[in-house]
Amino acid sequence: MPDLDQRDFPDVVIAGCGATSAVGVGVEALRTAMRTGASGLRKCERFNDGRFQSSIVGAVFQNGDGDDDPAYELANQALREACEQGRDVLQSITPDRIGFVLATTKANIEALERLSDGRDCSEMARRHLQGDLLAADLAAAHGAKGPVQCVSNACASGLIAIQQGSRLIQRGAADAALVAGVDHLSAFVMAGFSALKALDPAGCRPFDRDRAGLSPGEAGATIILARKSLIQESTNPQIQVLGWGNSNDANHITGPSRDGSGLAAAIRSALSLAKADPQELDYINAHGTGTPFNDAMESAALRSVFGDSCPPVSGSKGMLGHTLGAAGVVETILCVLAMQERCLPGTPGLKLAAEGAPSSLVREARRANRMNRVLKVNTGFGGINGAIVLGYG
Amino acid sequence: MAKVVVAAAGIVTEADLSTAKMGSRFGRMDLLSQLALLAVERLGINFEKMDRSRIGVCLAVSAGSLPTDIEYWKGRKEIGGPSPTLFAYTLPSSAIGEIAIRYRLTGPNLCFVGTDATLLPEARDLIERKEVDGCVCVACDVITTAASELIRVQPKAQVRAVFLVRGTNGVALEEKHRDMESVCALVCAGESARNCAR
Repeated sequence: MPDLDQRDFPDVVIAGCGATSAVGVGVEALRTAMRTGASGLRKCERFNDGRFQSSIVGAVFQNGDGDDDPAYELANQALREACEQGRDVLQSITPDRIGFVLATTKANIEALERLSDGRDCSEMARRHLQGDLLAADLAAAHGAKGPVQCVSNACASGLIAIQQGSRLIQRGAADAALVAGVDHLSAFVMAGFSALKALDPAGCRPFDRDRAGLSPGEAGATIILARKSLIQESTNPQIQVLGWGNSNDANHITGPSRDGSGLAAAIRSALSLAKADPQELDYINAHGTGTPFNDAMESAALRSVFGDSCPPVSGSKGMLGHTLGAAGVVETILCVLAMQERCLPGTPGLKLAAEGAPSSLVREARRANRMNRVLKVNTGFGGINGAIVLGYG
Repeated sequence: MAKVVVAAAGIVTEADLSTAKMGSRFGRMDLLSQLALLAVERLGINFEKMDRSRIGVCLAVSAGSLPTDIEYWKGRKEIGGPSPTLFAYTLPSSAIGEIAIRYRLTGPNLCFVGTDATLLPEARDLIERKEVDGCVCVACDVITTAASELIRVQPKAQVRAVFLVRGTNGVALEEKHRDMESVCALVCAGESARNCAR
């Protein structure tokens, strides 16, 4: 267990959320999908030309032939919604005390596809090929004049961005942070996962016995983090970022470790920082890509930390697709909604649980008795693992 | 507050690759990962004596993975499509994975796209909060000719690495040391030359 700094850091609360994903525009669309178990995965015509292993994706833009800057558009939409939700808090802070952290793996990779094919591409779209410039432009557009960071830790980027936003606030570099996650669907990414034979032709089925791979998705998602003392006391209890951890498997550049020890270490670090016992958790939102190796690794990690008494677990990529750099942010928003609704989200795509999967897998959404402490995990290429613990303070 | 020192620093360029002896796996990596790994190797750190779950790796990549993205995407018109091996390197953080694998470093990772201005403060924060005992920091300026044409900046291939630790054996990292260039220059000058690799 890490020997962590015992200083008293300020509490960090979630003051607003925004999300545009395959289930619709806005957080309310995500809430509805969580309650009903609806999936946003569909066959998508623009990827249905035989080049790819599957054309089932979690698309926001069904045609994909309009905007040349979809990364900016997705992130901007989510930022607008989150900033509206968190308006009172943000208006009480001077702009130079508002930080901005962007999580993305490919930024506006659409521009590379267009320029390579000699298609039209605006200067702004080209500029947003660079994640740091995309972050700078989004921060400027939403009045964040404090520290700006672009985090790109593979598919754990979103959780590590939330961690970074929390750090900025805790060490006094900012009073609030807009944490945005974005990645858009692209032939670039579809071709890569196809080449790796990592797409499930039947669509993503997390922890299912017959799972065969992931379904790519796209999303823009934003969480506003703020120092708790800035939030006026209200009747609604505030959800806090209580702890986080990240680690590396040091095992393989694309494959997860077999024993899950890296992810287990990240979870233990997050629990330690949150000062929470494993038994205190009420729900775990898994990475759950639906690839045979990832889900097996994740099951092993959960078994290692929780033994035979694993809290209820579900995965959301059968609903949203794998949204890469946005995954940690949009799936954390799902956790926030689950806490607000006291609802255990289901696992769209799951029919028959795989051998070795946690026995506490939640297939369909149901009411929870208690939803005070929640764990969210993500893992990524390069052996990167991330975990955060959310809770009511 | 724990004192943070620079235990070693160094710079490598593309010219250094010709003399690198890094094993067979090295040749499969993209240029960015090769240079990042070589820069860390040249630091000469003996990680065997450390708790490797307490060593972090922080990376800053000025142009993300764009040079590799371009190479990978060239393969779209070939039979079988683009290379799955190259796809693994189309993530800006892939060099972190290579560094972690080679030295079996299982501590926390951070990867920033952009300048290295964020790197040292964040690594320092990890150490001061006792989340790690030490941190390998790597700043990659790798922009190939093809990438430079796309984003209109000068081509370059230079990587700086430093190893930060809690303790006293090294050059004290001060608030004013915010970029890797000045830290490398500091360590590579004068009495600390023994800690400098180039």
